[in-house]
Amino acid sequence: MFDNFGMQAAAAEIFLIATICVVLLVDVFLSDSKRWITYALSLLTLAGCAWMTLSYGVNERVSAFSGMYVADPMGDVLKLFSYATVAVSFIYARDYLQRRALFKGEYFVLGLVALLGIMVMISAGNLLTVYLGVELLSLSLYAMVAFDRESTVAAESAMKYFVLGAIASGMLLYGFSIMYGIAGTLQLDELAVELRSVESPIGLVFALVFIIAGVAFKFGAVPFHMWVPDVYHGAPTPVTLFIGAAPKISSFVLAVRVLAEGLDSLVANWQDMLIVISVLSMAIGNIVAIAQTNLKRMLAYSTVSHVGFILLGILAGTNDGYRAAMYYTFAYVIMSVGSFGMILLLAREGFEADRIDDFRGLNRKSPWFAAVMLMLMFSTAGVPPFIGFWAKVEVIAAVLDVGLAWLAALAVLFSVIGAFYYLRVVKVMYFDEPTDTVDIQAGGTLRAVLSLNGLAVLVLGIVPSVLIDLCVRALP
Amino acid sequence: MPGIGKRMTLTSILFYAFSAVLVVAALGVITARNPVHAALFLVLAFVNSAVLWLLMEAEFLAIVLVLVYVGAVMVLFLFVVMMLDINVAQMREGFTRYAPLGIIVALLVVIEIASVVWVKRLGVDTTTAVPAAAPEGYSNTQALGELLYTHYLYPFELAAMLLLLAIIAAISLTMRKRRGFKQQDVAAQVAVRPQDRIRIVKMAPEKDA
Amino acid sequence: MIRQSVLLTIVLAPLIAAILAGVFGRFIGRRGAHTVTIAGVAISFVLSAWVLKLLLVDGAPPVNEAVYTWLVSDNIRMEVGFLVDRLTALMMVVVTFVSLCVHVYTIGYMHDDPGYQRFFSYISLFTFSMLMLVMANNFMQLFFGWEAVGLVSYLLIGFWYTRPSAIFANLKAFLVNRVGDFGFLLGIAGVVYFTGSLDYQTVFEQRELIAANTMQIIPGIEWQAITVICILLFIGAMGKSAQVPLHVWLPDSMEGPTPISALIHAATMVTAGIFMVARMSPLFELSEVALSTVLVVGATTAFFMGLLGMVNNDIKRVVAYSTLSQLGYMTVALGVSAYSAAIFHLMTHAFFKALLFLAAGSVIIGMHHEQDMRKMGGLKKYMPITYWTALIGALALVAFPGTSGFFSKDAIIAATAAASIPGATYAYWCVLLGVFVTAFYTFRLIFMTFEGPERFRTDAHGHHDSHTPHESPWVVTVPLIVLAVPSLVIGWLTVQPVLFGDYFGTAIFVEAAHDTVARVAETFHGPGAFSLHALLTVPFWLMVAGVATAWVFYVKKPELPSQIAARLGPLYKLLENKFYFDELYQAVFARGSRRLGSVLWRAGDVALIDGAIVNGSAHVVGWFSGVLRRLQSGYLYHYAFAMIIGLSALLAWYVLR
Repeated sequence: MFDNFGMQAAAAEIFLIATICVVLLVDVFLSDSKRWITYALSLLTLAGCAWMTLSYGVNERVSAFSGMYVADPMGDVLKLFSYATVAVSFIYARDYLQRRALFKGEYFVLGLVALLGIMVMISAGNLLTVYLGVELLSLSLYAMVAFDRESTVAAESAMKYFVLGAIASGMLLYGFSIMYGIAGTLQLDELAVELRSVESPIGLVFALVFIIAGVAFKFGAVPFHMWVPDVYHGAPTPVTLFIGAAPKISSFVLAVRVLAEGLDSLVANWQDMLIVISVLSMAIGNIVAIAQTNLKRMLAYSTVSHVGFILLGILAGTNDGYRAAMYYTFAYVIMSVGSFGMILLLAREGFEADRIDDFRGLNRKSPWFAAVMLMLMFSTAGVPPFIGFWAKVEVIAAVLDVGLAWLAALAVLFSVIGAFYYLRVVKVMYFDEPTDTVDIQAGGTLRAVLSLNGLAVLVLGIVPSVLIDLCVRALP
Repeated sequence: MPGIGKRMTLTSILFYAFSAVLVVAALGVITARNPVHAALFLVLAFVNSAVLWLLMEAEFLAIVLVLVYVGAVMVLFLFVVMMLDINVAQMREGFTRYAPLGIIVALLVVIEIASVVWVKRLGVDTTTAVPAAAPEGYSNTQALGELLYTHYLYPFELAAMLLLLAIIAAISLTMRKRRGFKQQDVAAQVAVRPQDRIRIVKMAPEKDA
Repeated sequence: MIRQSVLLTIVLAPLIAAILAGVFGRFIGRRGAHTVTIAGVAISFVLSAWVLKLLLVDGAPPVNEAVYTWLVSDNIRMEVGFLVDRLTALMMVVVTFVSLCVHVYTIGYMHDDPGYQRFFSYISLFTFSMLMLVMANNFMQLFFGWEAVGLVSYLLIGFWYTRPSAIFANLKAFLVNRVGDFGFLLGIAGVVYFTGSLDYQTVFEQRELIAANTMQIIPGIEWQAITVICILLFIGAMGKSAQVPLHVWLPDSMEGPTPISALIHAATMVTAGIFMVARMSPLFELSEVALSTVLVVGATTAFFMGLLGMVNNDIKRVVAYSTLSQLGYMTVALGVSAYSAAIFHLMTHAFFKALLFLAAGSVIIGMHHEQDMRKMGGLKKYMPITYWTALIGALALVAFPGTSGFFSKDAIIAATAAASIPGATYAYWCVLLGVFVTAFYTFRLIFMTFEGPERFRTDAHGHHDSHTPHESPWVVTVPLIVLAVPSLVIGWLTVQPVLFGDYFGTAIFVEAAHDTVARVAETFHGPGAFSLHALLTVPFWLMVAGVATAWVFYVKKPELPSQIAARLGPLYKLLENKFYFDELYQAVFARGSRRLGSVLWRAGDVALIDGAIVNGSAHVVGWFSGVLRRLQSGYLYHYAFAMIIGLSALLAWYVLR
C-alpha cells in the first residue's frame, strides 16, 4: 500500500519538517549568546533542502501521495529559488534582529514553516493541499508580523493581516467547496478533465469569483490589497522583507496551479477578472506610491503595482505568459529583497531608515551602496539594461501575443508613472545633503550579500538569457 | 417505494428544521450584545451542525464536533470571555454608523449568492446527486480512519504541522521576557545562601564630633 | 582545426589586461600596467599569427560558429560568434602586431604622463574592441565592435581632457561618427528586415532575396532594396573611415597622443569601414549604383584630401591628411570591386603609416613636444634611426617601386584603369594625380623635418636653444625598426598570393563582370618584373616629379613656396582652410541645429511638455494620489469592506449579467 506513495518525490518537504523539529529542540537548550547556532542550522537546513531537491529532481510531472503531491520541473525551479530567497532573507535579517533583541529561534522556525507552506503550494496536486499550504504560510506570517512584542504598530498590523487573511481564506474555501460540489473532485488534474464536460458554467464562474478573490488577496492585488501597505509598514523590516520575497513565489504558483492547471477550461472567464484586477493594481499601486514618504510603504504600493504586472503574464493564459510571469516574479523577488536589504543595511539602534528622507546624501556616505540602491531602483522602475526592464518586456510581449494591445499600452503608461517615485529615491541619495554623519554599521556578510544582490540586478539584465533559460526549462 | 419516500421526507423536514436553527444561532453569534450570549449561540450552532452530520450518517464527525468544539474549545472560550470583561458598548461604536451601508452590501451579496445557488441551481443538474445507501455493517469511523491514513496521509500530516505551527506561534507571541518584567525563580530562592544576601562590614567605631 | 578556446583567448587577453590596468591600475602601478597589457596583446598576436598559419599552411577550414547566445527575440538570434577565415586572420595579425608595437612605443612616449595606466587600459580595450569587430560573424557583434572602437577613440582623442581643443576634437569625432553610425544602423535594420537574420552567412545566402525587392523612400520612386542597404552601410563606413564629407573629424583627432594616432587613426580603426565593405562584398556586388557611389566618394577623398596635406605645417596633421588620402585609395579599390587590392593596401598602409606616425612621434619627443615643421629641420644628424625609418615609411607611402606601398597602390591604380563602371574615369584621374600629390607632401615632410637648416636654433621664442634634439630611447626606436621591416618587404613577399592568388578564397566575393583584379593579373609576372615594369609607367614618373618638386621647394629654394602661395592667393587660402568644410558644418549643422533646438525647446519643451504634459500630468497624478491615500484609513472594517465590495462587484459583473 505504501509503494505508490512515492515518498522520495517529497524528500525535500520531509527533510524540512524533520529539521524544523530538530531546530526547535536544539534552540530550547541554547543560551542567547549561542543563538547563532539556530541561525546557522536554519541556513544549513536550506542548503540540505536544496540538495534534496537537486538530487531528487524530476524531468517530467510525477505525482505522489495519491496525487496530492505533484513534482515537476517548474516546482523544482521554484523551490530552489525559494530556498535561496529565504536564505538571503535570513542573512539580511540577522544584524537587525540582534540589535533589537529579536534574535530568537522562533523567528527562524516560523520562517522555515512559511517556506514549508510555500513548498506545499508549489507541489500541490489537490485543492486540499493548496489550502493547507496557504494556511501554513499565512499563519507563520501572521506570527512573524507580530514578532516584535514591544511594537504596538506591529501588533495592530498583524491583527489586521490575520482578520483579513481569515476572510480571504474563507472566500477561497467557499469557492473550492462549490467547485467540489459541481465537479465532484478536489484533484486538480481530474478537475481540469471534469470541468470540460460541464455545459453551463454559471456555478463554476460563481465559484471562480471566490477563488479569484482569495488568490488576489494572497497576491495583494486591488481591491484585496488593503493589508499590504499597513503590514509592510507595521512589521519589523526583516519580516517585511520576508513577506515581500518568498510568498510572492507562492502567490504565483497558487495562480498557476489553481487557475492554469485546474480551471484551465474557464480561462476566458478568469482572464476577464484578472484584467480588471491587474489594471486596478497597476493604477492604484503606482499612483498612490507617489504620495508616500515612508520607504516601506512606498515599496508596498510598488509591490501592488508589480503584482499587476505579474498578473498580466498569468492572464495571457498561454505558456509564454506563465513563463513571463514566472520571470517577472523572479526579477521582482530579487529587486524587492535588495531594496528592503538596503533599509536593513542603513538601520541601526533606534533608527529604522525606513523613510525616504533617511536615504538623503547616501552617495556621500557610501558611494557603492548608493550605486547598489540606484541599480535596484532603476531596475524596479524598468530601466534598461537592468533585469526589471526585461521582466516588463516579457509580460508585455505575452499580453501582446494574445491580442490585448490596449492592455500593453496601459501597462507601459503605468510603468512610466511608476518611474517617478523610484527616481525620487535616487534623487534624494545623490542630490540632497545628508541629515547625519553616522556611518553604516552593518556587518560584512550583509554588505557582501547585498552587493552581490545589487550586481545581480545588473548582470542578469545584461545577460537576461540566464534567468529566461531557467524559466524555459521550468515551463517548456 | 413509499417507505423510502416517507423516510426521505422526514429527513428533509429534520434537515430544514435544524438548518433554520443553525442559521438563527449563527446570526445570534454576531448580533448578541453580550459576548457570553454570543458564545452560547455558537455552542448552539455547533450542536445543530452535529445533528446535520448525523442526518448524513456521519456519526463520528458529529460526535467529534460536539466533544471537541462544544466540550473543549467553547468552554475555554467562555472562560476567556468572562475573564477579560470586554466593554461591549465601545466595540459597537462603529457598528451602528456603518450598519446601513453594511446591510446593503450584505443583501447584495446574499442576492447574488441566492440567484446562483438557489435560482440557477449552480447551472448543473442536481437531481441525480442522491448517494446510494451505505451497506450493512458499514462503519464510517473505520472508513474515515482508513482514508485519513492512506489517501489523505499527506494533507493529514500537513494539518498536524499546522497545529504545531499554531503552538509555536502562540508561545512565541505570549511567552516572552519583557524588559523590566519581574519573575519569581523558586530554585534560586531555595538555593540562596546567607553570604549572598548579607554582607558584614567591619567599621571603625565612630566618635561623636 | 582552430579551436574556440584559442579564439576566445585572443579576444579576452586584451580585455582582461585592460580591466586589470584600468580598474586595478593604482595597485599594480606603472610597470604592472604596461606589463599586463603588453603581455595580453602579445598573447593575442602570437595566437593570431598561429591561427593565420593554421589557415594558410595547414589548410584548416574557416571557423564560423556561435559562442554564446545573448538573447533570442522574435526568432532573431543575437549572438556572440566568430567567423575566422583568411580575411579575418589577416586583419587580426595586422591589428595585434601594430597594437603590440604601439604598446611598447607608448612606454617611452607617455613616460611622464600622469594618466599612464589609464592610457594602457584604453589601448588594450581598443585592441579587444577591434578584434571583436573583425572576428564577428554577425551584424550585432559587428555593431558592438563598431561602437566600442568609436567609444575608445572618443576617450583617447580627449585623453588630455584638460585641453579645450582635445575636448572639442573628441566631441567632433563623436558627433560626425554618429551620423555615419546612424546610416550603418539603418543599413543593418534593412538587412534584418529583408532576411530576418543578423548572421552573415544566412544573410549572404539570401542576398538574391534582397536584390529582388524594391522600396520607396520618397513616394513614387522605386529603389532597389540592395542599393539602399549598401549605401546605408557605406555611410557607416564613411564615418569610420573618414571619407568626404564625413572626414572632418580625423585631422582634429590628432589632438590625442601620437601612439593613438598611429594605432587607431591610421592603422586600424579607420580601416574598419574598408574591412566592413570587403566583408559585405556579396551584397555590394549586387548593386552597381552602390559601387559607383563608393568609387566616387573614395576618389574624391583620395585626391582632394591629399591636396590639403601640401600646405599644412603640423607634422602630425600632414600624416593625418595622407591617411585620409590613402583611405580614399582603398575606397576606390572597393568601388572597382578590387576588394583584395583594398585589403592589401590596408595591410601595407597599416605598417608604413603606423611607422610614419611613430616616427613623427619620435620627432615630437626629440623636439620636446613641438609639432610645427617650420621649427624643425636638419634633424637627420641628431636622430638617425628615426630619419632612416621615416624615410622607409615615406618611400613606401609614395609607392617607390619595390616597397610595400608600391605593390598595393599600383594595383589599385591599375584596377581603376581596368574598371568600366560609371565614375571610373573620374576615379582614375583622381588616383593618378594623387600620386604626384602624395609624393610632394610626403617628401615635403621629410625635407622640412630632417634636411635643410636647423631652424629650431633660430626660433624666435628662444625656448629650444638650451635643448639639442636627441634620439629617442629604445622603447621608441625598436618599434620603428620592427615596423620598418614589413613596410619595406611585405609587399614583395605577399603580393603574389594575396592580390592575385586565391588567398581570400570564399571570404570575398566578386562578380565576374566586375573582376578588375583578374584583368590586372593578366599583366602580372612576379614582383620583380612588376617593379621593373613600373619604371616605364606614368605613376612612377609622377611620383618622381612630386619628390623633385618637393626637393626644389624645400631644400633648393626654400623661399619659393611662400612666393607661390602669394601668387595663388585664393587657391592657397582654400586649401589652408580645408575647403571650408569645418566652417560650413559649423554654420549650417552646428549653429542651425542649435537654433532649431532653441526654438523647439521654447515651444515644445518649456510650454507644451514641461508646462502641460509633465507638470500638468504630475499635478493630476499627485492630486489623485492624495485622494486615494485617504482610502487607506487604517481601519480594519474599511479594509474588509473594500474586499467585500470588490467581491460583490466581481460577482455582479459575471453572475447577474
